[in-house]
Amino acid sequence: MRNVPRRWSPRTAAATFAIILAVAGTATLIVGYTERHTPPPRPADAAAGRTQPTSPSTPHTKPVPTTPTTTALGASPPVDLSIPSIGVRSSIVELGQNADGTIEVPSSFHVAGWYKYGVTPGQNGPSVFLGHVDSMSGPGIFYRLGALHPGDHVRVTRQDGRTVTFAITGIRQYAKSTFPTIDVYANTTVPTIRLVTCGGAFDSATHHYLSNIVAFGQLI
Amino acid sequence: MRFQKLAAAVAASGGAIALALFAASPAIAQTTGATSYQANLQALNNSGASGTLMVTLNGSQATITEHTSGLAATFSGNPYPHVQHIHIGAKGTCPTTAADMNSDGVISTTEGGPSYGAIGTTLSTSGPTTPASGTVLNIAPSGASFDYSRTITLDAATLASIQANTGVIVVHGLDPATLSAKAQAEKSDLVPALPLAATSPALCGALVASQTSSVPTGGAATGAGGTSQTQHNVELLGVALLAGSVALLGARKLIPALTRS
Repeated sequence: MRNVPRRWSPRTAAATFAIILAVAGTATLIVGYTERHTPPPRPADAAAGRTQPTSPSTPHTKPVPTTPTTTALGASPPVDLSIPSIGVRSSIVELGQNADGTIEVPSSFHVAGWYKYGVTPGQNGPSVFLGHVDSMSGPGIFYRLGALHPGDHVRVTRQDGRTVTFAITGIRQYAKSTFPTIDVYANTTVPTIRLVTCGGAFDSATHHYLSNIVAFGQLI
Repeated sequence: MRFQKLAAAVAASGGAIALALFAASPAIAQTTGATSYQANLQALNNSGASGTLMVTLNGSQATITEHTSGLAATFSGNPYPHVQHIHIGAKGTCPTTAADMNSDGVISTTEGGPSYGAIGTTLSTSGPTTPASGTVLNIAPSGASFDYSRTITLDAATLASIQANTGVIVVHGLDPATLSAKAQAEKSDLVPALPLAATSPALCGALVASQTSSVPTGGAATGAGGTSQTQHNVELLGVALLAGSVALLGARKLIPALTRS
């Protein structure tokens, strides 16, 4: 047996690298394709800027249909949320605040959350729910929030067993830098609901969307 | 054998990348000691204006968010400065027309005093927030409508008054043309160099507890980008790697010709 050190010929080296590239490329394509989704829907009236869809002094133009059972209820936290028109059904986690005073978001991309320092759904005031538009790999629980239309129903079941139904009155997209704190969180004279998710352009440097989509609703 | 090891290594690193892509970063809950108050700002002196102000107290730190509209737009050709304050230490209410003691048709700032009290804090756009800076026009928000947002430190008197539900938001500055002839000729009760209209109340609202006991700041981080357009860059990378592989195989065929010579 001769003791000649084995040396790769240029052809073998080229073949090796070609195979490595082929395997890596195929793996990357598979990852990319399985995670591929169409971008989430934008609100039909996604004009940026201030609107006052919730100000008590400017009631919504959309008449609220069906029986006027808009009697406010006492406090009872939500346990379940469903929005049939966009296929949402979720249990509810409670959300507080982060250390910097911003609102906490659900740890799961597939479960909606309720802001516990606000009113419970059915009480007079704005009851605020958050859901992710997407995870790093696919749609989140509020992926289709921007496809809501005025009049669509949102049903919330509370711990006391009662189910309250809200009708959507408006859907808007806002830059996060000008988030409409007053429109979302200000007192209302009747029970209202706000559903919040992300929208607009995604900043791949900060890994955050630059806008929020907010759906406003009122108890019916 | 070598190829199998290489393939295994590539597969392993691919798996690690995939795991990193799928991983979520859960938020950590945090209790809040902050308390929010709100004032529904309503027109005084037939200003036709309206607005909402929210203040969230965290200790003595106050985060204020306000929107107004329908105020007087210009003053001597410039955006109308609307000085605004948290008034404290009285009934915690807004005055009615009964407060117009001299019957000139205008409730002056002084005439409203028994209802809403003295200036506790000036809601200026920058610089001092003391009562003494209450009529400094160049640090007042201005124009027919404005969005005001500032975090300031409140003094003990203002803090105590808000917590006792006697804090009242007053926004000043009327269009002189809307005043009676008598009132148009009058000097300001606060700054005699100015006309009465300039310092009289246009908006007033008592601070009450917010239905949302602690209003968070800013928007919500409710997305990770998995369905955004940028995610498609992953696919482009895959295509690029495959193209590199094909190119190498092509080059490999040329190698015998190159090495033979």
